[in-house]
Amino acid sequence: MVKIESADIKEREARLVISDTSPYFVNALRRAMLREVPKLAIEDVIFYENSSPLFDEIIAHRLGMIPLPTDLDVLVPREECTCNGEGCPNCTVRYTLSREEPGMVYSGDLQPENEKWRVIDPNIPIVELFEGQKLILEAEAILGKGKDHAKWQAVVAPGYKYYPIIEINQDKLDEDSIKKAIEICPKKILEEKEGKLVVKDIEKCTLCKSCVEVVEEGAIQVRGDETKFIFTYETDGSLDAKTLIIKAAEILENKFKELEKLIG
Amino acid sequence: MIIPVRCFSCGKVIGSVYEEFKRRCEEYKKAIESGEKPKETPKEILDDLGITRYCCRRMLLSHVDLLKDAAPYE
Repeated sequence: MVKIESADIKEREARLVISDTSPYFVNALRRAMLREVPKLAIEDVIFYENSSPLFDEIIAHRLGMIPLPTDLDVLVPREECTCNGEGCPNCTVRYTLSREEPGMVYSGDLQPENEKWRVIDPNIPIVELFEGQKLILEAEAILGKGKDHAKWQAVVAPGYKYYPIIEINQDKLDEDSIKKAIEICPKKILEEKEGKLVVKDIEKCTLCKSCVEVVEEGAIQVRGDETKFIFTYETDGSLDAKTLIIKAAEILENKFKELEKLIG
Repeated sequence: MIIPVRCFSCGKVIGSVYEEFKRRCEEYKKAIESGEKPKETPKEILDDLGITRYCCRRMLLSHVDLLKDAAPYE
């Protein structure tokens, strides 16, 4: 049975230790987070006036990359909506932007129709306007999935590694080799305590085996535990880290149920 | 041109910290030129802004702002 041994979940980043599992399961979870978790992002932009130095397409692309707050309990994907893809308040969030004076236009200048949808990060530069230039546009944001476009990918840099196992045979080590091992470790996780080599923070070990190479054969053994993983990920802020992983697990569960139905 | 909204490799939003990074780097440059000890180095600024991966760090470090040169052309 898959267990989560320790979870350090902050608002935008998380680190989990998952045990009693296999690389296949952890990778499935990672891929579900990347490809399947829905998120709000700007899809259609109507330009009324754009005399800025950037093309309409570039501005539209930059707008799409801005993370928007996503409430999955309220919104439904447009293709599943009762409006038949026309765009109603249940599936679409509208923003307007209008600037005529010179200066940098920021993501915070996007005006949502409801304050609830205000952009999380108001300091992202969109374009700089110079004397006499104007930017007036309307944008529609919809829910989408990471498999269609990276702008609908809520997770940033998800990854996992084997939990390190470091076995030290103190009899084969002397003062000199202990010093060598401590010095070569790139993460500085080894230290000397009462003439013995000990590991300070095992989770920081990258399994590089530099310490194995500088000491006598068999003195230090480094390997990964293939049933235990350190899983880390960040979010872009549109969903918080906890909602994201729960949503990914739900999606994965539904996929397995579907498979079961097809086989059964 | 203009700072990208996200890191090309990992997708972290980096556009939002660019202006602060630039401002603090200017302070560093000024301190170096006047021979004083700078308050913080670009490395410390990046660490403080939470830009930890090297893919995101290169986005800020290697960026050249050219939008002003393109300004006359709509």
